[in-house]
Amino acid sequence: MAQGFRERSFFARNPHVLIFLACLGVFTLAATLMSEAMGTGALSTSFTKILGQTLCLCLVAIAMDLVWGFCGILSLGHFAFFGLGGYMIGMWLMYERTRLIVEPSLAGAALPPTPQEISDAIAGQIFGVVGTSELPLVWSFAGSLPIQLALVVLVPGLLALVFGWLAFRSRVTGVYLSILTQAMTLALALYLFQNESGLRGNNGLSGLQNIPHAGGVSQAWISLWFLWGSALALALGYLLAAWIVSGKFGSVIRGIRDDETRVRFLGYPVEVYKLFVFTLTAVIAGIAGALYYPQAGIINPAELAPIASIYLAVWVAIGGRGRIWGAVLGAAAVSLVSNWFTGGGAPDIRLPGYTISWVNWWQVLLGLGFVLITIFAPKGLAGLVDLITQRRVPDRHGADAGPDQSALREAEEGR
Amino acid sequence: MSALLEVSDVSVAFDGFKAINHLSFSIGPAELRAVIGPNGAGKTTFMDIVTGKTRPDSGQVLWGEMSRSLTRMSEARIAREGIGRKFQRPTVFEDQSVEENLVMALKAQRGPLAAMFYRRNGEDMARVAELAREIRLETHLPRIAGELSHGQKQWLEIGMLLAQEPRLLLVDEPAAGMTPDERAHTTDILKEAARTRAVVVVEHDMEFVRRLDCRVTVLHEGSVLAEGSLDHVTANQRVIDVYLGR
Repeated sequence: MAQGFRERSFFARNPHVLIFLACLGVFTLAATLMSEAMGTGALSTSFTKILGQTLCLCLVAIAMDLVWGFCGILSLGHFAFFGLGGYMIGMWLMYERTRLIVEPSLAGAALPPTPQEISDAIAGQIFGVVGTSELPLVWSFAGSLPIQLALVVLVPGLLALVFGWLAFRSRVTGVYLSILTQAMTLALALYLFQNESGLRGNNGLSGLQNIPHAGGVSQAWISLWFLWGSALALALGYLLAAWIVSGKFGSVIRGIRDDETRVRFLGYPVEVYKLFVFTLTAVIAGIAGALYYPQAGIINPAELAPIASIYLAVWVAIGGRGRIWGAVLGAAAVSLVSNWFTGGGAPDIRLPGYTISWVNWWQVLLGLGFVLITIFAPKGLAGLVDLITQRRVPDRHGADAGPDQSALREAEEGR
Repeated sequence: MSALLEVSDVSVAFDGFKAINHLSFSIGPAELRAVIGPNGAGKTTFMDIVTGKTRPDSGQVLWGEMSRSLTRMSEARIAREGIGRKFQRPTVFEDQSVEENLVMALKAQRGPLAAMFYRRNGEDMARVAELAREIRLETHLPRIAGELSHGQKQWLEIGMLLAQEPRLLLVDEPAAGMTPDERAHTTDILKEAARTRAVVVVEHDMEFVRRLDCRVTVLHEGSVLAEGSLDHVTANQRVIDVYLGR
């Protein structure tokens, strides 16, 4: 028996992976065919961008589900990592685009411009709004795409590593850890709000939708490129997350969520596992942010405010934490519905003496929905899917179908 | 016979209350020992000190042939050194299957990367099957541990302890909430385990201790009151005073 053992393949053990990838593929194909770039124009370019952004939000929701739903760390800082990823790519986008504008205009001068003159001219363009024309130190590598791409991963990753190491080493857990992560997020947002931070203060970075060296390409096509890129990142993120949680590592982190002390007495270094998950998910969040903000076109410190990270937790809770597709479902559903309400899709309700404008009331509706789901459906939207699938023959893992020895066995139930 | 675990002159106080008071204790590499004592005698604190959950204020805890000190090691490090612990309340991972619980406990590399790239193999699964037979859960492997009865959870936890292949097992009230038949089987498992390793059982139930048929250490107010066979210690006048009240 020992020799005959063969574990079933990853996809056989986790059928949701193939189902999800198929759905994502169909969605991407449909969105592509209906896009403006393909000439049909059933979906406007701006809506294609919203779909692409939604995919990025689904990716960061997966990260949140890994760290909270599976490992039990309610981080209220993962949207800060998302924002940092956006800032890192935004710096290159802004710098390079400005350089391409500034350089030709300087080329007309009698003497060829020195690198210092070019750098000053770019800085003047970018930082005019905050009243300086010096390139801050943090922009040292902004001219290099490979370095800024590396920073998309490194900056959120290192911040999470240092912060996590300090927090987990001191065994800060539960609500105290949540407060700590929220404080980190708030401090980061407040820092970025200052002009001295070198990232244009509350103006943030803008014009990110204009991709340098792609001047001849229409926004319709660029939006499609980013949709594909986001879909690919989401697919890879989903595969990685599903693979991580399917094996013994998944067992251990779910164990940490349910009873940290017990895991420690089994000999597992709990702090190392937490740090690993916290840092990995911060990196995933950074990548998602780097794909999101070129589609949004603008990033400012308000995006990093603690409320954004709380929303992230709300999405995952509504979708159903502890299941990767639940997180995706929650993020997609809430952000699309939110777009519909705040984008004027929902007609205002006129009551005598008061008009319910959904742009304002949507938040109330979301809050109410969150409370109701927490109380009545702790498994979230994913729990609704359970209701349907469990109508079929229950999976008894080969056990007797009933207490009576003569009762039907699973094998006889036509499976 | 040299000792596997040597606790010498250990004291620990919580807010001035001396939970452990100059306690000395030692156990050999293949020995079964029962620890009894009234409530508040320091039985659980004693286990906390050995497993690294509580740091002693003074005294030494030495482990193994190399006589290494355990007092500076983390809980996880001590567990990897070969000390396994079963808690008073059965603590298994209720959200996961019996099989997953056992696989997680199996002796293996404990780092995150090792866990991530771990693949189940025939050897390990045969070991899991063997353990499951021993704890009478062989037909329950795919079940979620949370569905098990109280006694079955106790057994699963003992099984997880054995899966770690520790050199010392610390077992806190293993028979609590078990039927007489389950108790008898638990005794067999513990006696079998003690043939190859050290087992310390903390228990309230004298009948259970009698069935273990081993040396008994009586704790009282944080230190050892008496040690010897069960008949020897129960004949001790001070032990009788402590248990019946002065």
